[in-house]
Amino acid sequence: MSIETATRRPVVRSGIASFFLPGLGQFLLGERYRGGGILLGFVVMLGTTVWYGKPLWYAAPILIWLWNIWDAISLANGRARSILLPLLFGLAAAYGIGWQVVEIDFSKANMDRALAILRPMTRPDFVQPRREVNQMWVPVQVPCSSQPPAARREDAGRAAMVIPDCGGVGETLIVNVTGMWADAETNVFWQNPIGNPLMLGEGEITMLTLTTDENGSLTTTIRVPSTALVAAPDPTLPQFHRVYFEQYRPTGGYELSFIGNEVLKGALATVSMALMATGLAMLFAIPLSFLAARNLMSGNPVTYAVYVAVRTLLNILRSIESLIIAIIFVVIVGLGPFAGMLALALHSVAALGKLYSEVIEGIDPGPIEAIRATGANWLQVVRYAVIPQIIPPFTAFTIYRWDINVRSATVIGLVGGGGIGFLLIELIRVNNMRGVSAVFIAIAFIVIVLDYVSAKLRERLV
Amino acid sequence: MLKIQNLSKTYPNGTQALKNVSFDVQDGEFLVVIGLSGSGKSTLLRCINRLIEPTEGKIIWDNVDITAAPPAELRHIRRKIGMVFQQFNLVKRSSVMTNVLSGRLGYVNPWTSLLGIWSQEDRQRAIQALDRVGIADKAHSRADALSGGQQQRVGIARALMQDPKLILADEPVASLDPVLSHSILQYLEQLNKEGITVICSLHFLDLVHRYATRVVALKDGVKVFEGSAKEIDRAKFKEIYGEEAQEVRAASL
Ligand SMILES: Nc1ncnc2c1ncn2[C@@H]1O[C@H](COP(=O)(O)OP(=O)(O)OP(=O)(O)O)[C@@H](O)[C@H]1O
Ligand SMILES: [Mg+2]
Repeated sequence: MSIETATRRPVVRSGIASFFLPGLGQFLLGERYRGGGILLGFVVMLGTTVWYGKPLWYAAPILIWLWNIWDAISLANGRARSILLPLLFGLAAAYGIGWQVVEIDFSKANMDRALAILRPMTRPDFVQPRREVNQMWVPVQVPCSSQPPAARREDAGRAAMVIPDCGGVGETLIVNVTGMWADAETNVFWQNPIGNPLMLGEGEITMLTLTTDENGSLTTTIRVPSTALVAAPDPTLPQFHRVYFEQYRPTGGYELSFIGNEVLKGALATVSMALMATGLAMLFAIPLSFLAARNLMSGNPVTYAVYVAVRTLLNILRSIESLIIAIIFVVIVGLGPFAGMLALALHSVAALGKLYSEVIEGIDPGPIEAIRATGANWLQVVRYAVIPQIIPPFTAFTIYRWDINVRSATVIGLVGGGGIGFLLIELIRVNNMRGVSAVFIAIAFIVIVLDYVSAKLRERLV
Repeated sequence: MLKIQNLSKTYPNGTQALKNVSFDVQDGEFLVVIGLSGSGKSTLLRCINRLIEPTEGKIIWDNVDITAAPPAELRHIRRKIGMVFQQFNLVKRSSVMTNVLSGRLGYVNPWTSLLGIWSQEDRQRAIQALDRVGIADKAHSRADALSGGQQQRVGIARALMQDPKLILADEPVASLDPVLSHSILQYLEQLNKEGITVICSLHFLDLVHRYATRVVALKDGVKVFEGSAKEIDRAKFKEIYGEEAQEVRAASL
């Protein structure tokens, strides 16, 4: 009888205690960490759901609270419950809330938009068929002066003319060209006195493209573009504009397209930016790494203080993404690869410094004492016992860093750090998806090749 | 003749590794130092060429006080003292040839050696040294591509390059199997017969009996025995190695 009351009282008491304050029952039973942990978990869970404000998730703290009472009672009976259950409640709620915070919504995906982007990407703009151009132009006065010269021009067996000899904005002109390639597509466009081309097709935004007849002649009407005089200092002053006729034909083979050329330049800039950054970083990291090597610096309090300071500096630098450093350098030195290079270099100094110092810390003291024992002097000891141990891993880590820097350099371009990333963001901006696709392929190529080369090189150094 | 007088070593952390150790080594001896792990054998050997600075006492070699030698003279002395290590202490990534040549560093022009330039004569000498220990064909392998026994032979060849009058061998065979142990010690014995004094620390008593001309035993940094191997009877053995010790014979392994 007395035993029964003795056991029942703490059971009821713990249950009630945990009912009012989660974890209190457990705490009173002597399980202080368990009690504290339950309270903390409950408060965090409750706080999260209250802050998020969706009633559904109140289920989680309530379930944890119920479990806590059950656990307190079980504990009083001498058997703790597994904490797996409340952990699962908490995890489920956290994951559910996370899902909603991230706004996962697959119905937002738009297939048409995706296709509009992806279709041109199947034809990367890298090379184009090699072709030759046949170009002819004729001057025409806009607006008319009192005595306009004849709008005619002959050149290398070709002749072009405009009727009448001059015109005002919006007026219709007849243009004629002879002696061009026969049966060939011909672009006809306007050029204002400062050399800007203006379109003559539909709505003045498309190219007017016609086909020459079997004799290589072509006649059509055009309107003087509405923007022909926009750039003119005085729209009443007659000036000479030009009408151009332009034909292309393939000559066999392929050549780099304009974008392809830019991609190549960007790729080269990226790889060399990474190379420069790695080299520069190496120069600074080597001396720093000796200062950051515990085994060299723990001898006396002064060197140890230097060690701690250098280590801390390297750790702080290393924790800042090179992308963020790049944004700062873009502000300081302006857009371009130089900013990207400095950012990569700064980040790499920290990363390499740490790796190098670990190599130095892991150096085998055996060969050092062996070489000292031969009567070698200090420099000889460094040359024969230290350098052979650190050069291969230093080189391996440096190549590895170069590899990483090339990847980062592509991304750093996106914030204005130059190189292929900069080209990429420009192409995305003007919606040139064929160019974007060429850049993607170039980046993938660089990364894969470099990955392979760096792995092979490092293999030989181990 | 090497005279060790009242040698003591206290490490910065307070460990007293050697306590007032004195003994003499005659030229041409094969002196073996025995003692339990931690008794101070390595410390003693390293004090002799001052890889470790003794705290007190003197080491006098052919009337020159090694303990008082300034740095340049110390390097001069060191080049006549070859050293062989338990862990071989080769530069693993370097070639066998480079490891052996480095034994010559005390003799050559420091500046050309920094550039890695070695005279034809030194190369010849290195090949001969490797030939003596039977691995001339391995000259161009990387040191860590060799087996333990071969690496220790490179270690001996490196010591030979110093043209030493004294060889310090710190447990040269502790990482090797019994058969290899004998072959390595036979090289040292051969060198000893040619007039090089050898001071060698060993663990196995049967090896001590086989090779030592004289034995010094250390216990907790104190010299507890000095004499011939034959004088180590059961009582002495227990004194050196403690009551619990059982004699282990390398040959019976
Ligand atoms: N660098 C050091 N700093 C502090 N104590 C050391 C140092 N080197 C050795 N000791 C200590 O000095 C004592 C003697 O060490 P020593 O290495 O000379 O012994 P040993 O006889 O060679 O042992 P073993 O057979 O294990 O090689 C040991 O107690 C060891 O812990
Ligand atoms: Mg030892």
